[in-house]
Amino acid sequence: MGSLMSNLLQELNDELAEVTTKVRRSLVQITNGRGGAGAGTIWHSDGLIVTNAHVVAGHRTLNITLSTGETLPAKILALDQGLDLAAISVDAKNLPTIEPGDSRQLRAGQWVMSLGHPWGILNAATGGVVISMGSRVGDMESQNGQEWLAVNLHLRPGHSGGPLVDAEGRLIGVNTMMNGPEVGVAIPVHVVKAFLKDVLGRKESSEPVGSVQTV
Amino acid sequence: MSEVLKNLSDGLASVVETASPGIVRVEARRRMPGSGIVWSSDGVIVTAHHIIERTENIQIGLQDGTVVPATFVGRDPNTDLAVLRVDANLNPPAWSDADDLKVGHLVLALGRPGENVQATLGVVSAIEEEQIEERRRQRHGGHGEHGGRGGGRGGRGRWGEFRPAPAGGIAIQTDVVMYPGFSGGPLVDAAGFVRGMNTSAMSRGTSLTIATPAVRRVIESLLSHGKVKRGYLGIGAQPVRLPAAISKELEQEIGLMLVSVEEGSPAEKGGLLLGDILVGLDEYPVQVVDELLMLLNSDRVGKEVVAHIIRGGQLQDVKLTVGERE
Repeated sequence: MGSLMSNLLQELNDELAEVTTKVRRSLVQITNGRGGAGAGTIWHSDGLIVTNAHVVAGHRTLNITLSTGETLPAKILALDQGLDLAAISVDAKNLPTIEPGDSRQLRAGQWVMSLGHPWGILNAATGGVVISMGSRVGDMESQNGQEWLAVNLHLRPGHSGGPLVDAEGRLIGVNTMMNGPEVGVAIPVHVVKAFLKDVLGRKESSEPVGSVQTV
Repeated sequence: MSEVLKNLSDGLASVVETASPGIVRVEARRRMPGSGIVWSSDGVIVTAHHIIERTENIQIGLQDGTVVPATFVGRDPNTDLAVLRVDANLNPPAWSDADDLKVGHLVLALGRPGENVQATLGVVSAIEEEQIEERRRQRHGGHGEHGGRGGGRGGRGRWGEFRPAPAGGIAIQTDVVMYPGFSGGPLVDAAGFVRGMNTSAMSRGTSLTIATPAVRRVIESLLSHGKVKRGYLGIGAQPVRLPAAISKELEQEIGLMLVSVEEGSPAEKGGLLLGDILVGLDEYPVQVVDELLMLLNSDRVGKEVVAHIIRGGQLQDVKLTVGERE
């Protein structure tokens, strides 16, 4: 019994590390030339990255650093300060993308992990559970019906814009802020999808779904 | 990838879903609502005493979104428990009286501050009985450290300094964070059993859960008598700093000086005098009135206790029989 339990814990640990490793590939660091930094997640292999608007808004110089250590200049494609979402792009191909999950199917109590660069600590992971979903988080109530995801994680400066993933490493939200000292708040990925579709409709639909075959 | 993490995640969410119908919203204060747990299918609900700011016009929010009125049955500030009753058939969660919860076990704290159930995860940090043993050791082992609220460990909450077992039962300390409105909600184990009721009596990152056996005792007492028996000594007391020599000997800085002794009271019958300084009761140190009140729980009513006092600069013991507060 004892060894069975410790095997299970070991397996759990291995899987946590596996999820972290998988998600880290599509995690980027965003610097704005003023020492400020945030995180972002690679959405498309051709260089489309999602992050928070507050990470990039108002900055002329934006650089992103890939998990490989390579640094590239980035430009803002779209910004929605109300949603606190931004789409930025870098000139690159074949970047490792994150697998999107389904934030409409989340249940309270489910395991989640946040990745980012809290206080400048690069590629850090933290884990917890979903507290609740909806347009009300604690005493914070959305005026425009915007939905949020509340998690029992401590999101810190540098987590902003980074991925919140489920137990299988699929993107379910974008780390955004804290509500009070204890509740982490993320933007659910279905809101991110709608935002991207809205502002980058053509780009979204032109993403190839398979390789071209000659017949 | 194998499936341990996914299974764990799904398991946690299923535990929440299963317990969810038995967790209600309790609207009995002006600020944010609190949570409550269904005790029995005939409409008895247990919640936290401190979220009941009014005993009239209490509303209960159920899983299906309906809101029903509740009547106030009774409360026990000692354990922070209150009992309500609604005229409806409810779904109680699976309550467990088992004492097999161990330090390190995963637990979920659930609440319903709004429409939906909310959840958070943590680990059992300590079990109450161990805390009591620890305090006993500190008192008798000679290297104690029960600094008073005045000068002690600073900033710890009401339960932080000193924890006699609530109503003779046990309490569970966890590292789960009680979010606003989580008070009165359940602590649920990995198998989905309710192990007790959470209170927001937080101190430095630990949270307190009144364990099911204690909850049961208090509810049964409140349902049959509308109250929980409270001990009575018949003294008025004020915290004072102890003389240096005695303070060193006891490793305790503060005691309670008697400023009144009621006529015919257990204290008078036992021989306590004005000016005596109470420093302990049975094996527990006493420094502030709250500690004394917690010790005077229903288990001690009618029982003989030993009061440790300082009289004329000397420590001495006095036997008292605890009365019942009317």
